[in-house]
Amino acid sequence: MVLDTPTLTRLALAALAAPLCAFAIAGLALRSRPRAAAALVIASGALTALATLAILALADAPIQQVWTWLRVGDTDLGFGVLLDPRSRLMGAVVGVITLLVQIYSTGYMAHDPGRTRFFALLALFEWAMLGFAYAPDLLQAFIFWELVGLASFFLIGFWYDRPEAIAAAKKAFIMTRVGDVAMLIGLVLLFALAGTLDIRESLDRLHSLLQGHGITSLQVEVAAALLFVGVVGKSAQFPLHTWLPDAMAGPTPVSALLHSATMVAAGVFLFARFEELFLLAPLTRSAALLLTAFTALLAALLASVQVDIKRVWAWSSISQLGTMLAGLAAGGLSSGLFHLTTHAAFKALLFLSAGALIHHYGTQDLRALGRAGARRDRLTMLGLLVGAAALAGIPGFAGFASKEAVLTAVHDVPGRAAATGFALLVIGAGFTAYYVGRVAFLLLRPTAAEPHEPTPPDAHGHPPTTAMSASILTLTLITLALAFAGPLVASLLGQPLPELALAHAVPGIAAVALGLAVAVFDFGRKSSAPPLFERVPALHGLLLRGFYVDAIYQRVFVGAARLCARALHFAETRLLDPAADGLARLTLAMGEGTARGQSGQLQRYIGVAALLLACVALWLGFAE
Amino acid sequence: MSALAQIPILPLLLATPLACTLLTLVVPERLIKPLNATLSALALGLALALALGFDATTGGYQFAFVRPWIPAFRIQLDLAADGIAVLMSLLNAVVYFTGTLTMWSLNHRTREYFAFISLLVFGVFGVFLSRDLFAFFFFYEVAVLPMYPLIAVWGSTRKAYAAMKLTLYLMAGSALLFPSLIALYVLGGGDTWSIPELARRGFDPSVQVFLYPFLYVGFGILAGMWPLHGWSPTGHVAAPTSVSMLHAGVLMKLGAFGILRVAIGILPHGAEVWAPVAASLATAGIIYGAFVAWRQTDFKYVIGFSSVSHMGIVLLGLATLSADGTRGAVFQMFAHGVMTALFFSVVGFIYDQTHDRDIDHYGGLATQVPVAGTLFILAALCGMGVPGFASFVAEFLVFVAALQAWPVLGIIAIAGLVITAAYLLRVLGKALFGPPNPERAGLLDLRPVQALPRVILAGLLLLFGFVPQLALDLISHIGAVVK
Repeated sequence: MVLDTPTLTRLALAALAAPLCAFAIAGLALRSRPRAAAALVIASGALTALATLAILALADAPIQQVWTWLRVGDTDLGFGVLLDPRSRLMGAVVGVITLLVQIYSTGYMAHDPGRTRFFALLALFEWAMLGFAYAPDLLQAFIFWELVGLASFFLIGFWYDRPEAIAAAKKAFIMTRVGDVAMLIGLVLLFALAGTLDIRESLDRLHSLLQGHGITSLQVEVAAALLFVGVVGKSAQFPLHTWLPDAMAGPTPVSALLHSATMVAAGVFLFARFEELFLLAPLTRSAALLLTAFTALLAALLASVQVDIKRVWAWSSISQLGTMLAGLAAGGLSSGLFHLTTHAAFKALLFLSAGALIHHYGTQDLRALGRAGARRDRLTMLGLLVGAAALAGIPGFAGFASKEAVLTAVHDVPGRAAATGFALLVIGAGFTAYYVGRVAFLLLRPTAAEPHEPTPPDAHGHPPTTAMSASILTLTLITLALAFAGPLVASLLGQPLPELALAHAVPGIAAVALGLAVAVFDFGRKSSAPPLFERVPALHGLLLRGFYVDAIYQRVFVGAARLCARALHFAETRLLDPAADGLARLTLAMGEGTARGQSGQLQRYIGVAALLLACVALWLGFAE
Repeated sequence: MSALAQIPILPLLLATPLACTLLTLVVPERLIKPLNATLSALALGLALALALGFDATTGGYQFAFVRPWIPAFRIQLDLAADGIAVLMSLLNAVVYFTGTLTMWSLNHRTREYFAFISLLVFGVFGVFLSRDLFAFFFFYEVAVLPMYPLIAVWGSTRKAYAAMKLTLYLMAGSALLFPSLIALYVLGGGDTWSIPELARRGFDPSVQVFLYPFLYVGFGILAGMWPLHGWSPTGHVAAPTSVSMLHAGVLMKLGAFGILRVAIGILPHGAEVWAPVAASLATAGIIYGAFVAWRQTDFKYVIGFSSVSHMGIVLLGLATLSADGTRGAVFQMFAHGVMTALFFSVVGFIYDQTHDRDIDHYGGLATQVPVAGTLFILAALCGMGVPGFASFVAEFLVFVAALQAWPVLGIIAIAGLVITAAYLLRVLGKALFGPPNPERAGLLDLRPVQALPRVILAGLLLLFGFVPQLALDLISHIGAVVK
């Protein structure tokens, strides 16, 4: 069955309107009624999920409906929906994951005094992300892109009385804004080159303009590179990656959403949306491939030493996003978006099950969780292990199929850059398997307590509620099912997944097997030998500190900005202001000086007059 | 509409604050505040009627009302409103009304305060609505001069110094303006003060290039033009709440309005020649204001320097001399006016209770005073140029135009967005969020009556953010100065 265009458009508008209304009503009217707010937001989330799923399943040809939002001179700035395979897939991912996270949150946030605000913000987040996914227009895309960032800011900083949450929220907002500045310039350049704000039309025109030599390939490269900087910021790729691990200061359901279907996924989706542009910019593509593959490896390494379970998953997100982007940069639209889809499911699952453990045992420390008996939470652990298997890329699980698709897509690209990228990705996959195995073993086979217990488990935790368990179970099933969704995604996007040749798959599978084997060796045995990285303390220290990237940024960029602010503040208070004051004082002094002449003493006046007269007489005398 | 056309709406709009001044001087003490509230509401109603009655499809000057004033010098009271004047009058009326409501608790020399305020507002309306250059300057001075007593008497924090500094700076600007305006009159033939007529006649290119900087700097001082902005943050800080609101919200717009209407309007060639300089100064102001705001510890100084930065965006838009840039600049004047009014009204509310504006002495205001805190956060979001707030579209238009006119300056200006986010998030992080400061536990939140003016301002920011067409319709007829 295929729905007609008006119905689909209406469904898309309903999917957009529901969360916005829920946000407004919950935020304004239901401040003191958290249960009603949660119910309203979940109802809106369910509506949106159903609508986006219907749009995914029951549409055929691409649909674009644009209404004029704003008319400036001769330019129409539109608001509308573009329902093509890419946005339909992304929309459904957003709708389903958000709904599950919302349901889960009724349990996780049950005792939080600010839960009305929490649910309202979840609705805002969904609206922003969906508006971005369905955007047919450059400006609309940018607007919702910014709103996604804004909603993330408020959700990361949800517990705004905690300084670390506020710091993390600020960092996320400002670092992604660095990318946004580049992206805005890129969009304006794209608009200037193509002469239209319509995304699809601008991409078409760009193609023909380039062939007709109306524009140079350098201009296209620059536009693509600027957009890619935006992607780097939003999807937390090196070198703008350091905000994402800190962003876990937000409540765990927020992390689940932020790391899977929204925020960081927006960057990947932007790349997919502008795939045609990137295909016209081979240099940018190669650079993007190398950078993202490098990020994938780097983040996998960093994930391998974390003791905070949310931090492991955060680094793993950066690594996986790098993998998706590498696939897209290699031209594998289906591969990249397939990995986006599977990752959205299994990463949400991993965070939600981690959240259930944190909720229960009151600690985020992997070792403490294991010792506290995490393995006894059977359903949660089942979800966590299924997600972990998918993340590790164990054959038969969702992540395996999509990761192999990405690896093959990269492998199929000729050239040294792609070969290097492939190697980086394969090594990254090996370390991914290693840290996943490490997490699993630390939780399942607790080690003896260390002399300095890091964070003692909280005795007042609650076991997961039904709502939480239901969400975890549903995501587990979705994750299992997605292993077989590859061909569906490929046929939806009209680009078959690359043929999985054994020769390409061997390095990937071997790396995963090796990584798992080392994890078993390190953590699976009763042994006192230190694990892999701890044997090289220097490297271990480097990894724990994220190669000092954060510290360097703090010193170099933040330091430079502060220095600049200090210098200008000095200029203001010590130069400009005193100059103005000095001018005023000079005027005053001149006034006082001349006033002194007006002393009112007759003798003085006569004396001055006589002196002047004498001067005049002398001058006249000499003149003759 | 036809019924409306019969009413001389512009003279009424101008007469309302003047009548308010005169009546305030004579009515009994207890009636002063109700009188001012009523008449400022009437002014707001008239400004709204003006905006609704304005025919945006034809554009141009409408509601003309011409009477001779000083016939010997061909000076006329020539009132007329184009879309820009309508939008600016609406801004003035909104800030007048909401500002009056925020001063409800004033009890020191109430009579003189409100008399001066309405006189100031009268001058501002006169500037926006005058087509006669002499009247324009006359009203300009009427608007500027009450600032001195308003700050010196009712102000705080080095008020005498701030009032004098402000007055000297602005008088310096006037000293540049007045001879230039007379030069325009004389060189324009000596038989008309009409701005559109002078613009139509045109001036010799060399005259334009010579006179333009005088006019630009003269008006630019009031617009907070870097590096002659020094009066503005100090003045903002020292002024009482509603004066800060009018001052940053409306008065600075007079400078930008003067640049647009008089300097660029009459001397387009001069504007074109000097545009690179103007754009460079504007960009410097954007960055400079943002960086200096980042270092401030006083709420009002942060907002004061943010005004320098945001007015830089206005001046950058004007300097592009393009249609989109000018539209963006005018829209930004409106958006920034409402936004700073909201900022100052909320800060003033807190300050009235604690007499302390040091950011570090606060924490968790969003918890302690949720309504006031939320309103402050909304203003900050607008300041950061977040979509959904009025300044987003305004800044977007300016940035697009600037990127086309001067790519490098445009990129620098856009990069300023990062610093803007940094200094506003710093204030939010320190004072609004974070652990609540127990010393401030006794803070009272806005009561509904007190919240009303602030909610109006915040509502306008969102209204014009979601439906920017409301403003852009009014100013759609702005054309490019340089094709």
